[in-house]
Amino acid sequence: MIAVPAFFTEYQTLVNAELDRLVAGDGTPVWRSMAYTVHAPSKRVRPVLTLLAAELCGGVPARAVPVAAVMELVHASSLILDDLPSMDDAPLRRGRTSNHLEFGEAIAILAAFGLLNLAYGTLARAYDAALAARLSSLVADAVGTDGLIGGQAVDLLATDQEISFETLERIHRGKTGALFSAAATSGAIIAGAPADALGSLAAYAKNLGLAFQIIDDVLDVEGDPAETGKAVREDAKKTTFVSFSGVDGARQLALELCQTADRALEPFGRRADRLRDLSKFVAGRSW
Amino acid sequence: MIEPGLDRRVDELRQQLRALGYLDAGVNRFVLGPATDTRPPFAIALLASFRVGCLAALLLGPAAAIGLNSRLPGLVTGPRDAIVVAIYLGLLLGSAVSVVAFLASLLVASLAGEGIARRARPWSRVAGAVVAVACLVYLTLWWRSANAGFGWAAPIWTAFALAVAVAISLLLGHVVTVAAFAVILARRGNGELHGAAPRFTSSSSSWKMTLAAALVAFAGAAAVLIVTAPRDPGRAAHVPLAVVSSGLRIRLIAIDGVDPGVLEELASTGRIPRLAAALTGTRAPLGLQDTDTTRDPARGWTTIATGRTPEDHGVGGLETRRVAGIQGSVVAGERSPLGHAIRTATDLLRLTRPAIASGNERRVKTMWDVASDAGLRTAVVNWWATWPAPFNSESGIVVSDRATLRLERGGALDAEIAPASLYEPLRARWPAIRNDAAARGRAAAASLAWGDSDTRTTLERSAELDAIQLALTREVSTSLPDLSAVYLPGLDIAQNTLLGRRDAALAPSVVAARLQALRDYYIFLDRLLADVLSPAADELIVVVTEPGRVTAAADGLMGVMGRSAAPKREAAGRVTDVAPTVLHALGVPISRELAGAPLTALFDDGFARRYPVRQMETYGRPSTNRSARSGQPLDQEMIDRLRSLGYVK
Repeated sequence: MIAVPAFFTEYQTLVNAELDRLVAGDGTPVWRSMAYTVHAPSKRVRPVLTLLAAELCGGVPARAVPVAAVMELVHASSLILDDLPSMDDAPLRRGRTSNHLEFGEAIAILAAFGLLNLAYGTLARAYDAALAARLSSLVADAVGTDGLIGGQAVDLLATDQEISFETLERIHRGKTGALFSAAATSGAIIAGAPADALGSLAAYAKNLGLAFQIIDDVLDVEGDPAETGKAVREDAKKTTFVSFSGVDGARQLALELCQTADRALEPFGRRADRLRDLSKFVAGRSW
Repeated sequence: MIEPGLDRRVDELRQQLRALGYLDAGVNRFVLGPATDTRPPFAIALLASFRVGCLAALLLGPAAAIGLNSRLPGLVTGPRDAIVVAIYLGLLLGSAVSVVAFLASLLVASLAGEGIARRARPWSRVAGAVVAVACLVYLTLWWRSANAGFGWAAPIWTAFALAVAVAISLLLGHVVTVAAFAVILARRGNGELHGAAPRFTSSSSSWKMTLAAALVAFAGAAAVLIVTAPRDPGRAAHVPLAVVSSGLRIRLIAIDGVDPGVLEELASTGRIPRLAAALTGTRAPLGLQDTDTTRDPARGWTTIATGRTPEDHGVGGLETRRVAGIQGSVVAGERSPLGHAIRTATDLLRLTRPAIASGNERRVKTMWDVASDAGLRTAVVNWWATWPAPFNSESGIVVSDRATLRLERGGALDAEIAPASLYEPLRARWPAIRNDAAARGRAAAASLAWGDSDTRTTLERSAELDAIQLALTREVSTSLPDLSAVYLPGLDIAQNTLLGRRDAALAPSVVAARLQALRDYYIFLDRLLADVLSPAADELIVVVTEPGRVTAAADGLMGVMGRSAAPKREAAGRVTDVAPTVLHALGVPISRELAGAPLTALFDDGFARRYPVRQMETYGRPSTNRSARSGQPLDQEMIDRLRSLGYVK
């Protein structure tokens, strides 16, 4: 097991503080349902990626904290929806009972929409109009039919069916890759990075996102629920990377994807070491 | 540890991931560098197009220089010229590609409504494909025209050239795609550009896709090459350049500035008996040329020497331009006001400077080149565009149009005379040749009424020039060449000096006096040519005249006398018929590439019967070997000389 890089704590603290502020709520069931998933134990990989990208491109991380938190809000929203009985019907998430089992399906759906709504509102309040519009558009694309929604739709239709490798990649690109790319790109945009830097970061995020998902598939087969925080063999009825390559092959591909992600950072030199640490963590994670 | 048999599956997945855009860290940093978030689409398009243009300059400059060298053989005379030409062409083509990329990016971006922006990738690929196809077609056609007819006759070299063209086109198409994509999404105004851009790199760097695109492009280029290959249904079997000797030696005398009307008048009164015998007996009016050709001696006399049109032989005019940094020269171009303005502008900017037409611009062989190749002995004196003199073991004698300048000034040869071994003997004899020529001029002036002192001076100078050329011909013809040719400029120079364009109109009495003096110059020429116009038993004398720069709108003439010449007879001809007629008389087969044909009617029946016209495919390209060039070039001296003689303004 590879431990979370030390710098993670610093960024996690920043993000958690922002999430605390944003999801304080008024104690109503919807707010409690929102906070239940958002404040559950999490690695915060996506928001940390946003902050690291902003820092790498010369920006002030604090300025990127709102959009980093937005990435986590969107992710949390997608987790709630993903676990619903009409979707994956998962009992366990982030080491806890799934949201809909805790608050009921109707409240869970409302909480998911509440988080999405909060995300867009946060962007509108935290940034000037032009930047907020660009970031909103970026998030909308990551959530939309080419992103999370599209990926989940293909995933649902493929349940209990044999699917091709291309279809599997399409699912993961939508469900995981889109938000990883948006997370890295939004941080760079906040820092006003040039296109070549953004291109490098996007290449990094794309490869890292898929590696992250492949490791997820591996952990579903051989992970410890105590560590992963979710039920194992949940995806047994689905085609995963492991179905195509076996556990060892999947780990090998994930490692190569992380190495590719690192190569994309070459133009940044040593300044990108933290992102390299992140990819190292993703490749070796056990939770 | 991966289980046995899994390696292959993992490798297949790896390939699929690559095809889907993973496992590729490359990004288009070069093109996307200027696409910062704060820049408007216009600026991004401009800066990205500039970078694309730089890339194109690097790729297309050298490729185009190779092609241009084939089209303009006089331009590149060495590696240094090749590099400079590549830089010039790189700048030119790079700018052109920049403009095209800029316009393509903006065009696609201007169409980028929400619907198109959503499909930015396919639209930008369309823009890139258009540029790639245009680039490939251009390079292919360039290759075809540069190697006119070469094509698949040299399949390996052609395939290599096409492969280079394909690679260049694909690369340019790709970078234009990326630039267009950047502009579309920048116009749309969100950050998706940067998340999506690498997918271009990865998908197009998939070796399978790239290979497939390259193969399709190669096949397309090959098809273009085949479809546009010149058709020549009349192609006959190759006939070697073998002489069926007629036993004739040809002496060709070229006289510029002859007015057929004056010639007829003087001949009818018996005042020029030798010229009359040569030009009013068996002869062929050569038809009216376009006045550009007759007014421009380099263009017109190269047409006569080669039997090809100016478009074919490449010597478009007396004045050429030397491009800064290059030893070679290019044709000065259009005679239009626009062409003149461009020449003036580039001269002012010191990008070009005037130069005089030379053999470097000539793309085809002259009649004496062909005769030399066929193993015949040749000597040519003072013909236009014969400098730099070629040199190889089979070459004949060439006393070029710069030879008298070199003989006057001395110093080491700069390819003015070939073979170089002739230079020292001629240099030793030069004072005597010059004094004798001057004496002939003075004697003629004394015995003929050459009018006032200005007129007399002009005609004496012309007489001296003509006498020098004939003396040089005698000096180099000691071994009785099978073909000797000499160009006499005196009459044209005198005519142009005395009657050419001038600011103030001349008084009628002055014009009349000068016309009379010019008539007397015909008489001088008749006397000067007395020895030359007396053919030996095995000689055929061919006299060719052109009306020159003043009386441009008149016929040229070709007269023959001596062995195998027909009895008095007149046949219609063209200026391009001179070279094939001379070559036929020597027994050389006639190339189908020539614009003219032998005027067989000028020969007697016995000759025509014994020596039917034989044809062959091509004489090939002229040799690029030049005679010794250790001396100081006489470029400026040549311009000054021609200016003093009224050829150059």
